[in-house]
Amino acid sequence: MVVRSYNDELKYLEKINNYCWRIKIGFQPNMKVEGCFYVNAALEKLMLEELRNACRPGMTGGFLPGVKQIANVAALPGIVGRSIGLPDVHSGYGFAIGNMAAFDVNDPQSIVSPGGVGFDINCGVRLLRTNLWEKDVLPVKEQLAQSLFDHIPVGVGSKGIIPMNARDLDEALEMGMDWSLREGYVWAEDKEHCEEYGRMLNADPATVSMRAKKRGLPQLGTLGAGNHYAEIQVVDEIYDKWAACKMGIEEKGQVCVMIHSGSRGFGHQVATDALVQMEKAMKRYNIETNDRQLACSHINSEEGQNYLKSMAAAANFAWVNRSSMTFLSRQAFAKQFNMSPDDLDMHVIYDVSHNIAKIEEHLVDGKPKTLLVHRKGSTRAFPPGHPLIPVDYQLTGQPVLIGGTMGTCSYVLTGTESGMEQTFGSTCHGAGRALSRAKSRRNLNYTDVLRKLDDMGISIRVASPKLVMEEAPESYKNVTDVVNTCHAAGISNKCIKLRPIAVIKG
Amino acid sequence: MMNLLNENLTLAPCKYEYLDHTADVQLHAWGNSLKEAFEQCGIAMFGYMTNLSTVEVQAVHTIEASGHDLESLLFHFLDELLFLFSCDPFLICNKLVISEFNTEGEEFRIECKCYGEEFTLGKHPQGTEVKAITYSAMQIIIEPEQNNYEVFVIIDI
Repeated sequence: MVVRSYNDELKYLEKINNYCWRIKIGFQPNMKVEGCFYVNAALEKLMLEELRNACRPGMTGGFLPGVKQIANVAALPGIVGRSIGLPDVHSGYGFAIGNMAAFDVNDPQSIVSPGGVGFDINCGVRLLRTNLWEKDVLPVKEQLAQSLFDHIPVGVGSKGIIPMNARDLDEALEMGMDWSLREGYVWAEDKEHCEEYGRMLNADPATVSMRAKKRGLPQLGTLGAGNHYAEIQVVDEIYDKWAACKMGIEEKGQVCVMIHSGSRGFGHQVATDALVQMEKAMKRYNIETNDRQLACSHINSEEGQNYLKSMAAAANFAWVNRSSMTFLSRQAFAKQFNMSPDDLDMHVIYDVSHNIAKIEEHLVDGKPKTLLVHRKGSTRAFPPGHPLIPVDYQLTGQPVLIGGTMGTCSYVLTGTESGMEQTFGSTCHGAGRALSRAKSRRNLNYTDVLRKLDDMGISIRVASPKLVMEEAPESYKNVTDVVNTCHAAGISNKCIKLRPIAVIKG
Repeated sequence: MMNLLNENLTLAPCKYEYLDHTADVQLHAWGNSLKEAFEQCGIAMFGYMTNLSTVEVQAVHTIEASGHDLESLLFHFLDELLFLFSCDPFLICNKLVISEFNTEGEEFRIECKCYGEEFTLGKHPQGTEVKAITYSAMQIIIEPEQNNYEVFVIIDI
C-alpha cells in the first residue's frame, strides 16, 4: 500500500458533482482505469473519515479503507470502464462491499475473482406482496410474527425442514428454482419475477467439493444469521404510482413480506474453496494484484471456469433457499388468515441478487462488449426495455429491492437508462455498516434497542440477543441517504418505500 | 468417537479476545507456545457461536489440517473446525488439544482432538454464525525470547 498523508491522498480524489467522486489513476499502483464512488454530503463524511483513519501514523496491519479497495480493483487485469463504489460502500474482503467492476470476457488477461462476489454467493432479497392491509394484520401482528419465526428456521445451528438427500441436492444445484417448482414449493409465476428466472444454466454440481455439499445439505431452507431477515412490511410511500401498480402495489398500507438470505454454508464453502484454488493459480499464471485478498484467475483458465460453474450452483442453491422460505411464509400467512396463499395474492414481486458475477452485454465507448460483471453488495438495475427483464416490467425497468436493517425502511427502486451508462446497470444493495459489531455492542443497550423498536410498532423475534445491538439501525448507514443518492445520481429511481412491522432474525 | 473415560477434561484458561472490525470480527488469541495460541484461536471461534459455559464434553473427534506455511495452516485448521460444526457431527467444542503440530518441512500439519457435543437448539444459546475464515490482516507473532505467541484472524460473519 502506498503510504501518503491524508492531504496528499485527497489530491487523487476529485468531486465531479454533488453525488459522485473520481478516484484518479495513481491513487494505488497499476490502476488500469479510474475509480469512482457515489456519495451525498452525509455519506461523503463517512467515506473520507475511513480514509483519514487509515492514514493516521502508526496504523499498520489493519484493514484497507473502501476507497483504497475500489482503487485496487481498478488495477486488476482486464477491467473496463471504471471500478465503481455505490453509496453503501464499506471495507470488505478484497473488493469493498458495495463495489462493482466489469471485465472484458474476450481479453485473455481478464480475471474472475471470488472476492468480487463475496462469501455469501447470491445473497439477495425477495419481496412478496399480499392483498392484506395494515389494519388486517395489526390485531394479529404478534401471532403472525411468532408463526413466521416458528415456520422459518433461523440463526446459527438451525437445520432446514425441507426433506432433502444428497441426490436431491445435486438436482437442486443444477436446476435452481425449476427444482423448487417441480417439487411443488413455488408457483410457476415466481420464476418469471426472479433474476435469471431462478436458474443459472452454467451451474455444474460436479465442480463443487463434497465439503460444500455437506455444509449445504442441512442448511437448505434456513434463513441464517447476521444481517439476514424475514420482515412483514407495510407500504409507507409510493413515489412512482404507475410502476408500483405494475408490481401489484396499489395504496399505502398494503402488506408485503421481504426475505433477505443467501446460499448459506454451501456458498461460503464454495467461495473458501475457490480462494484456496486461486491463490495457487495466481502464482502459476503470474497474475499481479495489489492485495493478497484479491485472489483471482483468468476467466478462461480452468480455475476461473470451475469457479463460475460452482458459483452458479451456489446461486441456484440460494434461489432454492429463498423459494423454500417463500413457501414457509405463505404457509404461515395461510394458517393465520385461514385463506390460501393464492387468495391472499402472495405473488413474488421480484427477487434480486446482490452478491454475484454474471456475463452480460454492455456498450463500452459505444461498442457492444461481452463483460463479466462482478457485483458485490451491489444490485443489478436494468432499464426499461432490456431483454433480460420480465415482460411485466419491460416498461417500468427492473424492480430493485433494497433491504434496510432491523427497524429501518426498505425500498423498491427501478432501473434506469442512465444507470446502464454510468454503472453497467448497477445500484446499491442496502444500508452498509457504519459501526463495527463490537462497537455496537459496547455503545448500545439491549433493552433500549428493543424499547425503541417497540415504540415504532415493530414486533421482533430474534434467535441471538447479541444481534439486537449489532444490527440496530444506529450501526448502519442511513438507508434513506443511500437510496436518495442513487436516485439523485440517476442510477435508479425511487418507486416504493416500505416500513417494517415485524422482524424475524437469526 | 473415542472413549472419554480416561481423558483429561479440564478446560484451558481463556487466552483470547474479540477485536473490532467494521463488518466482521477479529479473533486475537495467545499462549506460551504457538500450539496453544492455535488451540485458543479455535476456542475463540466456537465462543462466538454460543456461550461455551453451556457446552458439556460428551464426544471427541479428531481433525487433521495441513498447509504450506503457518498462515495457511492456521486457515485450514480453523476451516476444519468450522466444518466440524457446520455438518454432521455438528460439534460445538470447548476444548481443543493439538496432538501433532508439525511446522517444518514441505507440508505443515496439525492433528487435533476436539472435545464437545452436538450443537442443540434450546440447550446452546445461538450466537453469531461464522461464514468463513479469511486471510485478511492475518498475523502470527512468534517471540520465543518473551515466551509470547499470538495469532490474529478475521472471520467473516
